[in-house]
Amino acid sequence: MTQQTDTGADTHGFLGEEFLTWLWFRWETEGGDFTLPGGRLVGVALDDFLLFAAKSEDETEQTLRRGLPTRTAEARTALRQGHRLRKARLLVAEGSRQWSATLDATTLTLGGVKLPEDAEECESDVDRTADRSANWLALHEIVQGLYGQFLRERLRADYKKSGAEKQARWMAG
Amino acid sequence: MAAIRKSGGVVAFFWDGKIADPRDQAFCDAMANRRFRTIENAASEEISAGWVTALDPTGDSFGLEDLDGGAGTWLRFRIDKKKLPMKWLQIHRDAAEKSRGKKLSARERRELKDDLMDKLLPRVLPSVQLVDALLFFDKKTVLLFATSKSAREVFGKLFLESFGVPLERANPLQSGLRVGLDEATKYELERAEPVRWPQAEKAGELARAARSKAVDPTDADVAEADA
Repeated sequence: MTQQTDTGADTHGFLGEEFLTWLWFRWETEGGDFTLPGGRLVGVALDDFLLFAAKSEDETEQTLRRGLPTRTAEARTALRQGHRLRKARLLVAEGSRQWSATLDATTLTLGGVKLPEDAEECESDVDRTADRSANWLALHEIVQGLYGQFLRERLRADYKKSGAEKQARWMAG
Repeated sequence: MAAIRKSGGVVAFFWDGKIADPRDQAFCDAMANRRFRTIENAASEEISAGWVTALDPTGDSFGLEDLDGGAGTWLRFRIDKKKLPMKWLQIHRDAAEKSRGKKLSARERRELKDDLMDKLLPRVLPSVQLVDALLFFDKKTVLLFATSKSAREVFGKLFLESFGVPLERANPLQSGLRVGLDEATKYELERAEPVRWPQAEKAGELARAARSKAVDPTDADVAEADA
């Protein structure tokens, strides 16, 4: 028996895919710097793994690995055909800390996370646990903050005439 | 005690309502009520899951200091599974059939299996899985360091039975409801529909049309797709 509900992944999974595609758009067009609530400055870039969602059940998913997949003709074609990103490996930086993780857009699950190196002043396992715990929380808050920023733009009444149109031009370009 | 992990997969969960404060003994008591119980000597196939701590994998003790995870509260649960290895069953069945000189009937196979379970299971050691989570009380958030469905389900059940509130797994809806949107935007979130990218859709339609005519492409088709 489980008490967890996961209907949001089924009904709103597309929003996670739009979020990931928007991160790519923002990274390419504005450099990937974001100011999150509380004045938190973070940088986001897409790394060496992209998985494009199929547009329907009978279409094929496309995976691009290694090198710079965002620069490939296959990636541009997928965008041009209106495919959203389902998964991507992200590099996230805040100050001197850097994380990498694969974001599964439909569930917002983070896979293969690598935390920043332990702080130099960590001398014991208790110190390391405290440092890593703070880094796990920071990564979660950054992803939440970015998603919140995306939603505030995406759910605006004039989104289709502003942000969506810009992104559509980028996707078709 | 080793430090908490620094890599791997993580699933976020949220809860609404009130749970015991991890700084209070009541929190430890709630965990102790669903402590791990060993099945080391069990004579039947079974699964046992319950709370332990990073300091004590037996589930015998729960101290507030054992849950110290820096910014969060370090939860750990243990899942033991006891299962008769199928190879053993096959070996014994083959031996019985060889000595009888004919195949065993379905009833005989069942009886042989039951007999072997009684004899061998007390000697079988269970597999052990330890799963960690970090709970951030003020944020009503818990990060589970396992992504498998079975671990998620066990965790959700343990949490509910211990603290009396269900967990909501993070997803684009649940996370969106917790990023500080105003009520009107939350309303829009719940009713959001996918964006249909006009130019991208057009490009996609052309590409699909080109593919469907790709059996015998003509210059006209290519010109249409290029357009």
